[in-house]
Amino acid sequence: MKLTALTKKEGQDILKNRIYILVVFVQVFILLGTFGIALASSIASDPVLLDQYGATSVLKVGVSDNIRGTELETDLVDQKLQLIYYNNISDAQKFLGTTLVSVVDVNPPGSLNVSVNTDSSNVFYPVVSTKVNNAVNEYQLQKKLESTGLNATQIQMILNPVNLQVINLNQNHQANLALNSSYFVEIMYGFIVPFILLLPFFLASNIVTDSVVGERERKTFEVLLMTPISSSMVMLGKILPILCFSLIQSVVWIGLLDLLKVPIYNPVLIFILLFFMGLGFIGIGVLLSMFVDSTKEANSAITIILVFATFILFMPLFIKTSYFTPILNYIPTVIMVKMASTPKINPIIILSALPTILISLMIFVFTIRYFRHERAIRL
Amino acid sequence: MAYIKFRCTRVKMKFTTITKWEFKGTLKSKKFMTIFFLQISVLFLMIIIFNSFVTNIESESGISITPSLNGFASMDVQDQSGLISKYVNPDIITVIPSNYSNALNNTVNGKTTGFLYVPGNADREIQNGQTINMVVYLDTSDPKSSVVSGEVNSMAKIISQSYSSTLAASANPQNTTSPSINQQSTGESLPLQIIKKVMLVILLFLPLLLFGNIIIDSVVGEKERKTGEILIAMPISHAQIIIGKSMAVALTISLQVAMWVIILLLAGFHIFNPLLVFIFIILTSIPIIGITTVVAAYSKNYKEAGIGLSIAYIVIVGLLIIPVLVYISRKSFLSNISPMTIVMRLFSGETIPLGDYALTLLSIAIVSIISYWIAIKLFERDDILFGPRPGVLRLVFDLITFKKY
Repeated sequence: MKLTALTKKEGQDILKNRIYILVVFVQVFILLGTFGIALASSIASDPVLLDQYGATSVLKVGVSDNIRGTELETDLVDQKLQLIYYNNISDAQKFLGTTLVSVVDVNPPGSLNVSVNTDSSNVFYPVVSTKVNNAVNEYQLQKKLESTGLNATQIQMILNPVNLQVINLNQNHQANLALNSSYFVEIMYGFIVPFILLLPFFLASNIVTDSVVGERERKTFEVLLMTPISSSMVMLGKILPILCFSLIQSVVWIGLLDLLKVPIYNPVLIFILLFFMGLGFIGIGVLLSMFVDSTKEANSAITIILVFATFILFMPLFIKTSYFTPILNYIPTVIMVKMASTPKINPIIILSALPTILISLMIFVFTIRYFRHERAIRL
Repeated sequence: MAYIKFRCTRVKMKFTTITKWEFKGTLKSKKFMTIFFLQISVLFLMIIIFNSFVTNIESESGISITPSLNGFASMDVQDQSGLISKYVNPDIITVIPSNYSNALNNTVNGKTTGFLYVPGNADREIQNGQTINMVVYLDTSDPKSSVVSGEVNSMAKIISQSYSSTLAASANPQNTTSPSINQQSTGESLPLQIIKKVMLVILLFLPLLLFGNIIIDSVVGEKERKTGEILIAMPISHAQIIIGKSMAVALTISLQVAMWVIILLLAGFHIFNPLLVFIFIILTSIPIIGITTVVAAYSKNYKEAGIGLSIAYIVIVGLLIIPVLVYISRKSFLSNISPMTIVMRLFSGETIPLGDYALTLLSIAIVSIISYWIAIKLFERDDILFGPRPGVLRLVFDLITFKKY
């Protein structure tokens, strides 16, 4: 009963704190912002999607007047590039990097010698580069095949030696994705989903330090510890509402991602993983609270610890090094990526979460034991 | 006599005295020093990660910022000839050699994301000049099917281009004129610029945002500890108190920035004009400290100051970074309004026209003057220091009408 009262009081304190509520709203902006950036950059870097959304007017390529009516012009136009003609190619070069993304020239006219100059600092560089390369390769192949005397079918075969047929299975349960793009799926599931789902636990570490150190600053910890309730129960009463607050946020973010058409699979497994990770995060927060004297110190120290945690959790997602490979499958963010993106999860992936669960539990149990020993007050 | 002595002290006391007290107090705090060195250890960690990150994206054939998802998706492949499967990128897709019926079952049951079927005689078909008909089965209930589809499509395009060139060459062996594509690229790729320049500039500006707590403690702490009365009773003007406290924080920041620049240089980062870079970062700290002081002067307690500071820093970071991103994509003159842009250009070794420097200095000066003027005006008001605190609208009205308080 006393535990319930303490939990309720702590829960109300969290909900009344304007900073925490503000941070919750900031997380919504982070979620929507990162989703928007992922969406825009996926379209900007994918030639097919860019054509599909009709944004090809930005793909400006400078060419010399003498390519008018040539096969190269047809090939470039087929790639949906916007050609801008110049009397002299050196005039076009002057606009490279400002108006133009690329400049294409054939010298001497009608020959196979093509020069391509592209501004790689442009946002659309990958798309323009791919399209120009496709056009130039096609032009050169056609020019070479023209002189061979082959018939149209043979030329067509040489131009398309590989035929790829795509057959879609399980269409009744098709993933409801905001964008059917490889880059979008990789960046959303590979980074943004674990990042968003773990944000509430970064906040949880801050709340727990505020809560424990705050009691000491206000000199109310003595009173709390003198109540007929064990120190473990005191700790539990403080931790439970913080853990619930974080887990609720993560569940809401999963729902919001689903609404944004980024379906999160295996939510129950993710919830369990987040629960144990939450215990670890909160445990670190409590442990830290026992070594500092004021909220100000606690905030500075927890910020630094969270920077380290960010590196440990997220950098393995971006670094390809052989020495990371053996432990990569046991890093919680990597497990979260696999769980969130796989409709039918392999049991081995579930088992690979065991080290995370064990480490988190060890941190938590150690914290509680240390708290009982030290009682965190150091009056 | 006592009066004369007091008058003499009153004349002598300057803002430097406050600066000296505050700076000494900061450096003497053991916990501050611990945090100071922990921040430097964070910098070391960032340098290691930064270097690995740059090496990783530079080694990619197509430079892009995507997670390195080892075995993100899996695909069964039946390719007896081995001609095709060797082109699949193993970093993203785990290739499982399989036979048709098992592979199809795996994909239908969601055990693998896709199945690529290549005819057994693909090598002979190619040699005979026939088209290879490949089939890819995708489990569309799995969002990673987009990744498999994208990978297989780009792989088919690469193979197609490679065989087309070989077939064209064999169809026309007497044609000795080999085509040439002279490809050149100007400018550094956007992802590389974001990693190399934007990340480095953020790293350099980070100390400016790490010391907000000291300002809060220095100003709000006086209110909470009830020492504000003693401070304003001292023979020194309110303006000098604010300037003295700000100077102490600026000194602490400059110490941290200097150490960071030296560490980054020693770690092998190419920072051109390090002295100018240092000067511009320290100049930027002045308006940031000014804005933080406004927040601190108005706040009643640490909690309120914390909320205000969080909001203020989100806005400040946005105003600093957005012009940098605009400069990278458009090279616009106006983007020099952010000191971050000029610092990035300085350490990149760009030749910067004097007009661009002037714009940066002007923006720093304007924000500094306004923020310090507001902070001093707030600090001069007894109702701000001792309460009851007036509302924001009332304050704005008093400030714009230059009402004497």
